[in-house]
Amino acid sequence: MANVQHLYQKLTFYRINYTTKPFFCTFVFCVYQTIIIVITKFLSNIGNYFLFLRKVFSKPEKWRLLFKQCIIEADKLVINSIPLIALISVFIGAVLVIQTASNMTSPLLHKMYVGYMARESLILEFSSTMVCLILAGKIGSNISSEIGTMRITEQIDAMEMMGVNSAGYLVLPKIIATTLLNPLLTLMSFLVGLLGGYLLVSSTGIIMVKDFITGIRFCFQEYYILYTVIKTAVFSFIISSISSFYGYYAIGGSLGVGKSSTNAIVTSSALILMTNLILTHIML
Amino acid sequence: MIQVRNLSKYFENKIGIEDISIDYEPGKCTTIIGPSGSGKTVLLKTTVGLIAPDSGEVIFDNVVFNKLKESEQKQIRSKMGMLFQGSALFDFATALENVMFPMDFFTKMSREEKIERAMFCLNRVGLENVEKKYPSELSGGMQKRVGIARAIAIGPSYLFCDEPNSGLDPYTSTLIDRLIQEITQEYNITTIINTHDMNSVMEIADKIVFIYKGKKEWEGNIHDVFTSDNERLNDFVFATNMAKELRRALKSDKGQQL
Repeated sequence: MANVQHLYQKLTFYRINYTTKPFFCTFVFCVYQTIIIVITKFLSNIGNYFLFLRKVFSKPEKWRLLFKQCIIEADKLVINSIPLIALISVFIGAVLVIQTASNMTSPLLHKMYVGYMARESLILEFSSTMVCLILAGKIGSNISSEIGTMRITEQIDAMEMMGVNSAGYLVLPKIIATTLLNPLLTLMSFLVGLLGGYLLVSSTGIIMVKDFITGIRFCFQEYYILYTVIKTAVFSFIISSISSFYGYYAIGGSLGVGKSSTNAIVTSSALILMTNLILTHIML
Repeated sequence: MIQVRNLSKYFENKIGIEDISIDYEPGKCTTIIGPSGSGKTVLLKTTVGLIAPDSGEVIFDNVVFNKLKESEQKQIRSKMGMLFQGSALFDFATALENVMFPMDFFTKMSREEKIERAMFCLNRVGLENVEKKYPSELSGGMQKRVGIARAIAIGPSYLFCDEPNSGLDPYTSTLIDRLIQEITQEYNITTIINTHDMNSVMEIADKIVFIYKGKKEWEGNIHDVFTSDNERLNDFVFATNMAKELRRALKSDKGQQL
């Protein structure tokens, strides 16, 4: 009601009469109300997310069980992602080499820059951001659907009933496993991407192998590895915590679980892209 | 003993439960009956603390449970066992691991002791050679039994069952009912059962509470059901014409005897 009065005051201020322009005023009112609802929901979600994180990071009941769960989650979420990431990286590495070589036709540019450019593209963007976007789809949907199904089948209620901190037991191991181990996955992706480029160069002769090797060793900055590792750790935290959050509060049966998976992937991907911009601005 | 005092819970101005007071006695089965949507599950979940009540008290052995901090509630929770409507067995764990789960958190038993206790509980509910099977490999009745085994694993003082017979055939339902009754008497547990299966109520109820539109409508024992003049209760319990005839016959027999 206060919103409506505020809107009428605004309309009067801009000399818009409700009685002479009812359609316009109703349209403005609807847009205004929608914006208020969206902002309220957004802020409420942020608040709930941080309350959820507080529950997740409360002291574990038994450290031994946490360690055991971390090993299980590392196998399920990280080790199982190795084949997919390796497959994508080897092809992307090869494609990057072809694209760079085909764009460097100037005789003034040394061919070693093909290797250099491929390496920089892989370490700065592909192996961290792109791989994490792929993982947001794979790991994110896995986490949110698993936890969401547990929610709607009352398995989480059963844990809470026993006095077990269900958020801590189910979510913390996933966050720890992905945040600590996904950076290694990223480094593997970088190496496999370079291997893909090397295999392409050696099999097609698009440039000389010697030039490619020189290029990937040229002006290498170790700091970029730290940059990639930090970025991946942050992105992994976003993927695992956001996906768990949506799964944990899933409602409405199997449709609700599907919706939570979709929301988890969309939100994680959007946050990864935004965080990427911020981190890159800060770190480079 | 569990006492519920003036318990109310509203969902956006709609009544979940309102002003309900019940005493649950140890070693006895109290069944809560009522039509779908009457508030049975809300009452049960409010009693065990899965839903926070808007007003009222839940008292476990003279301790007001719902006024305790979450960390303080854990001690009472370790004495609770609950059988959920869909069993709620953990998909990621085998039958044996499901039964061992509460022991992992609330006991300092060695792994061998936990396995021994879990095997005892599985055998107690009549299950053999299922310990390595996952919930998806078990039938509905077997899942309920594993659920009961998990609920009694750490020797609870209070057992809560939400629709223990839903989705089961009459024979298996009777087996589950008898099992709950035996366990209640054997371990002197305070058992609360939510159900709308009247066969089950007749089989095991020591006390019956009828909930209607979120309010306690009636309370009594099996014999009182047949003589009660509460119309809503009679409409619910004796829903079919045959049941109505049976009640009329029983009432007149009883009247003649009296």
